[in-house]
Amino acid sequence: MSFKPILRKITGLNAATVGCLAGATVSIALAFMQADRASKAVATPPGYALAVCGAALLGFCAVRAIIRRRWISVLLHGGCVLVGVGWLVGQYVAKHPADGLPVYGAVAMIDGDESNTLYTGDNLTEPVGKLPFSIRLERFMIDYYPDDTVREYRSRVTITEPGKEPYVRNIRVNHPARVCGYDIYQMSWGQAKDMYGRPLVYTVLQFQRDPGVPLVYAGYLLLFAGVTMFAFKQGGKS
Amino acid sequence: MAVKLTIQGGLIYLTMLFFIATLVAARLRRNQNATAFWIGGFAVALLSVAWRGFSTGHPPMQNLFEFFLCMAAALAPLSWWNLRRHGLDTKFQDAVIGLVILFPAGFVFKEEMRHLMPALQSPFFVPHVAAYVAGYVMMARATAIALPMFRRDTEAERLTRIDLAVRQSVAAGFVLITAGLLLGSVWGKVCWSNYWAWDPKEMWSLATWLVYAAYFHFRQRYGVSRPRSLAALLCVGLLFIVLTLTWINLSRIFSGMHTYA
Repeated sequence: MSFKPILRKITGLNAATVGCLAGATVSIALAFMQADRASKAVATPPGYALAVCGAALLGFCAVRAIIRRRWISVLLHGGCVLVGVGWLVGQYVAKHPADGLPVYGAVAMIDGDESNTLYTGDNLTEPVGKLPFSIRLERFMIDYYPDDTVREYRSRVTITEPGKEPYVRNIRVNHPARVCGYDIYQMSWGQAKDMYGRPLVYTVLQFQRDPGVPLVYAGYLLLFAGVTMFAFKQGGKS
Repeated sequence: MAVKLTIQGGLIYLTMLFFIATLVAARLRRNQNATAFWIGGFAVALLSVAWRGFSTGHPPMQNLFEFFLCMAAALAPLSWWNLRRHGLDTKFQDAVIGLVILFPAGFVFKEEMRHLMPALQSPFFVPHVAAYVAGYVMMARATAIALPMFRRDTEAERLTRIDLAVRQSVAAGFVLITAGLLLGSVWGKVCWSNYWAWDPKEMWSLATWLVYAAYFHFRQRYGVSRPRSLAALLCVGLLFIVLTLTWINLSRIFSGMHTYA
């Protein structure tokens, strides 16, 4: 490949080092954009193109490592590829869901509400689609420490899947519920007033379905195995 | 800037005194005394973490103050690992690092206690933070060990020895920061619904990880033929760690879900 000597002449570094440092630069640029803008910026055609190029480059490294029988390098680069592919799969399915069901959305509920529609937007007013099950909020509870800081948020819900007995789930922060491939999270809460001016407390439950996650986690396993083996291999030679 | 007139403060200042004594003894080549002070410092640093955990009622890893206390306690075991494995006596550098770590804990950060909020009540909390505590301390120590690489008059044999110790230390630290990053990502999925939130601190941590990846790729290609560049890459990595721990945590430019203390 002829671009490597040119790259080396300009930067004084080998291509792999330049690649890592370029990744670090992109990462810092995204840090300056902050989470909301950065997450929107990467979910655009240029973002996807960059991810595909990165995954292809790392895939090339992994294949080359297989040919050279450098198994730790295969694990490291292959793990990165799996993470990238898993992210792209998640992004693709979010935009083109095969079954037409929503992949992401939230719903705000007060005690006793029942819903099977997910919403998006700043005030959760734009519907994104119907769930294959319905959810009813039995009760939203906030538990406090003695000094009035929050100990726990808990939404007790009843799930009704078609053709099944309804069942109860408790959704807490760090304890999402899994229903029909959806993870349901205790995301937020708030206070409002009803039509007579009486105070209401509502909970916001977030729904998420990401078929790319197993790929990403598989990538994490390869990556961690590779990093650990790499550390043990740092012997005296070379 | 304030002096802490509390038991916690006393333990921090006592640790710092032990570290200063270690420095002085190491400079005067009183190796046994230095070791004794170093062990004493470690014991008090450990006590300081334990006291904090006892008084807050949760693992003391919630904010920067507690994070820095933990880093000070992680120094000595990692130092001992280099002594056993490479025959390197790093007490002097490590005591300096310890003082740098404990200065903000002793004089800048507030000691106020908070209950563990719902997001932090997770089995991922302790391993995620502990991996980063140990990983960051390891990287700081590895950078200190690598400093002679900047000197042009370091003889080849010594350079090879330092390179081996640095490489193994950075590799160990890399395992730790990889564990911290991946555990944090899986925790993010369980808690925030996404394994990656594009949060500024996540992005800086990824950048740090990539700088150390760059170090290994550079080392693989050039060996020890360019020691100054190797050491410079480690300095960049450490700079990123320091920025992640201070500026990114505290500045409003980088406000996000990791903002605390």
